[in-house]
Amino acid sequence: MKGYRALARATAKAALAYRLSLLLGMGAVLGQLVALLAVWGVILARSPVNGFTWPQMRAYLLVAFAAGTVVSILGDFRMASRILDGDVALDLVKPIDYQKARLAESLGGLWIEILLIAAVIGVVVALTGGVDIPAGPALALFAASMLILVPLKFLIVYVSTLACFWTQNFMGVQWARLAVVNLLSGALIPLVYLPHWLATAAQWSPFAGLTSTPALIFLGRVHGREALVLVAVQLGWVLVLWFGARLVWRAALRRLTVNGG
Amino acid sequence: MPIVEARGLTKVFRRPDKGTGLAGSVKHLLARRYVEKVAVDHVDLSIEAGEAVAYVGPNGAGKSTTVKLLCGILVPTEGEVRIDGLHPQRDRTTVAHRIGVLFGQRTQLWWDLPVAESLGVLRDIYQVDHATYRKRLARFDDVLELGEILPVIGRKLSLGQRMRADLAAALVHGPQVVYLDEPTIGLDLAVKDRVREFFRSLRDEGITVMLTSHDLADIEGFCRRLVIIDEGRIIFDGDLESVKDSFARERILHVETAGPVPLETLRASLPGAEVTEEESPLKYAVRFDRFAMTAGQVVTVLATLTDLVDFRVDEPSIEDVIRRVYSGELVLPR
Repeated sequence: MKGYRALARATAKAALAYRLSLLLGMGAVLGQLVALLAVWGVILARSPVNGFTWPQMRAYLLVAFAAGTVVSILGDFRMASRILDGDVALDLVKPIDYQKARLAESLGGLWIEILLIAAVIGVVVALTGGVDIPAGPALALFAASMLILVPLKFLIVYVSTLACFWTQNFMGVQWARLAVVNLLSGALIPLVYLPHWLATAAQWSPFAGLTSTPALIFLGRVHGREALVLVAVQLGWVLVLWFGARLVWRAALRRLTVNGG
Repeated sequence: MPIVEARGLTKVFRRPDKGTGLAGSVKHLLARRYVEKVAVDHVDLSIEAGEAVAYVGPNGAGKSTTVKLLCGILVPTEGEVRIDGLHPQRDRTTVAHRIGVLFGQRTQLWWDLPVAESLGVLRDIYQVDHATYRKRLARFDDVLELGEILPVIGRKLSLGQRMRADLAAALVHGPQVVYLDEPTIGLDLAVKDRVREFFRSLRDEGITVMLTSHDLADIEGFCRRLVIIDEGRIIFDGDLESVKDSFARERILHVETAGPVPLETLRASLPGAEVTEEESPLKYAVRFDRFAMTAGQVVTVLATLTDLVDFRVDEPSIEDVIRRVYSGELVLPR
């Protein structure tokens, strides 16, 4: 446990060592939030579309922002470059589990991210007006969903980064992941705006749990049994991916060729 | 029981064969072809606790691959490895506590953290208690002068500082077996000396060391056993001194005389040795077999002919021997 905690702390410290880059990265996500708020503000000014009113969309975008910021100070870049240039060899001679170690690193930056989210949401709410907070049980379910989102997001990034063992390249993997995640998670537009078949597929995919599920619960657009099912799907994917990642890792190890030194 | 044991260890890499040019690359997309390269070929190796083994061979001979197989980083295609009786893949965690690895061309320091913090993370990962950790750090500081680099951020270290910090990182958990893969690569002479002194202190503590290096000066005076690998196969495994005895028996005595002596006179008085003139006048080189005569005898003979101003004996280095083995000029008995 101590080793994992040390790794978590090291990631946070390393992230804070690059405060400027951290802020610039935040700036990019913030820019996207402001742009989306502006666009939807115009679209929904007169009448709701697909059942979304302007205040609802604003709440949706804020949840999407929070969901997008959580677990974003990832070790994924370090992990990928260590796989690509073979330094992963040194991770393999450590007496700790590789997957858990990477999870610890992802969790290390969580508190920084939560502080940033709180600050941004505070400012947006102050400037554009408050959002409706759901009632007790829905709020609890929303909190649970946000909590499950943390390992889910880590696992999606982790498994896709393991692809570097095969692709020998990280940029392509990262872009492909961002494209798929942005579309199928509902981070850019709510899933109801997608063609029906795609929306259904996305709903059951692991990606919906990254934005859509917590956002819809927060807005009260899903409730009761339906909301519970969505959270269960989210949790189910965490379990599937956790054990699936172990299989991928085992296959990756057999493939590992470390050239030179 | 040997602490490191490999039997029939083999690693075959499969590489895409893309042919040449764009046409070759396109063809590879359609019909993938691979070539197999046997990096390590049925290597048997058994190292006793406390031994210091030099593992040498030309570039691409399979040295690093062997080390990675012995650490459990790579899964062997065939054969098996035991570390202290344990399977390095199946018992990865237990084995990890017993081995320390340094790859000279890689670092395990955090690029964005001071060295002290990196070492602290490793201390926690290996669950070393603080008192032991402090003791070890103090020892590293004695030989490696670690103190001055502890507050330096990883990416700001010079190569020599980086290597010293990485040595500490590889040994912070007090491993029983240490693999050092090119540990002095790119270092200046002063740092090399310090690092070599540190190796000797490891050996003196009874730590098993396997050292891979291109710099044979790393080996001399440190390893008693020499293993030579070429094209994935072990071509020699034996005592370093005996290799030197049997294949490096030649000595060269360089002398400077007070006055000129005819070369023929020198040659006539030293039958069995080869006498040549060196570039400057009054300087000669005498090449002899150290088992046929001693340097003292040669000097005595020369002193009867003329006054000697200066002399010095050159021993051939193990490097010469290994170079001759690589080139095929010398075949060592197995």
